[in-house]
Amino acid sequence: MTDANKHSPIEDAQGLIIGSSMMSFSVLILTHLGLITGQTAGLAILISYITGYPFGAVFFVINLPFYWLGYKGIGLHFVIKTFIAVGLLSVISSAMPNYISFDMLDPLAGALLFGLIAGAGLIILIRHGASLGGIGILAIYLQDKTGFRAGWTQLIFDGLLFLVAFFTLDTAIVVYSFLGAAIVNVVIGINHRRDRYIAK
Amino acid sequence: MPAPLPIPTHTVPHSKLEDLQGLGIGIFATTVALSFLTHLGLLTGQTAGLALIISYMTGYSFSWVFFLINIPFYAFAWSRLGPEFTIKSVICVTTVSVLMAYVPDLMPFGDLNPIFGTIAFGIICGLGLLGVFRHKGSLGGLGVVALIIQDKTGFRAGLVQLIADGVLFSVAFLLFPAETVLYSLLGAAVLNGVIAFNHRRDRYISD
Repeated sequence: MTDANKHSPIEDAQGLIIGSSMMSFSVLILTHLGLITGQTAGLAILISYITGYPFGAVFFVINLPFYWLGYKGIGLHFVIKTFIAVGLLSVISSAMPNYISFDMLDPLAGALLFGLIAGAGLIILIRHGASLGGIGILAIYLQDKTGFRAGWTQLIFDGLLFLVAFFTLDTAIVVYSFLGAAIVNVVIGINHRRDRYIAK
Repeated sequence: MPAPLPIPTHTVPHSKLEDLQGLGIGIFATTVALSFLTHLGLLTGQTAGLALIISYMTGYSFSWVFFLINIPFYAFAWSRLGPEFTIKSVICVTTVSVLMAYVPDLMPFGDLNPIFGTIAFGIICGLGLLGVFRHKGSLGGLGVVALIIQDKTGFRAGLVQLIADGVLFSVAFLLFPAETVLYSLLGAAVLNGVIAFNHRRDRYISD
């Protein structure tokens, strides 16, 4: 039995694979319904809808500038794990439509399912010391340098993202997207507790 | 026999609302996972596996079979594990049964590769059950009987469940194409791997 306070490399590996797979499944749901979400993944999806480039490639490229900030601000382990998680999400989400598709997906049920799956996937990645990069890294870096709270940076980014979405996509799409993003945040808000899940 | 896991004395209890969302999300994930199986006509272990076999053989819906098959186990659970556990089991099992009547219709699959589907089942069901276990829920059934046998005879509950799954899959080999059973075994193995790796009461400390 491994140390309760520290994940072994194999435990981290299965955590990153499962977390990234769940995130890929949640992206499959979003893109089937034409919805978006917040943060870097949301920006990548929006760019992918507007330009026609595939989500996986856009997401991978968008994240590239942020790794240096992550290395300086947070640490090498975090950056390596984040790079792996972002890479896995890019590759798995590109391959997934070859193996699964929906005949039909109720948008309300889909937004709910997206929120739960993405919330669980992100909690897994966070618990195993990774992230999905991008804006979150910038937010933490800004908080360390200037004291401006990371949560505010992320909120402002999401506000701008949804504002752009509001002018480029259908209103119904934006409302369902907003619902899904809210569920992700509630799931993480309630369940991401370092005092309960103690392993690092 | 492995040493018992050290369970920390310091715990951070869940509130009722936290338990409700935890069990709700866990059960919802479990039904999404099961709808991968029913779409592909695949099986799994334990009580849900038994219900799937009966459902495929008789044509009755999984919802009803799973609901009915669990009823005898509540009597055992009441005397062995107490009213609170039993009532929680009834609520969890009933919720799975009700959701299984609707969830597959809300998200019908188009194409679903069977190997992809069985692995997706294993991962998502594993996560769902982790949620249910961490919030002290239960999906009833064979697990209860296994615990009672361990109490009475000292025979390990895990072995009882392994034997039950062995019998279940042996029967399945006689009734279903070998391919179906092999895909099902892969999913069940992934499911058990996810739980074995991640169900750690020394890490997720809450009572």
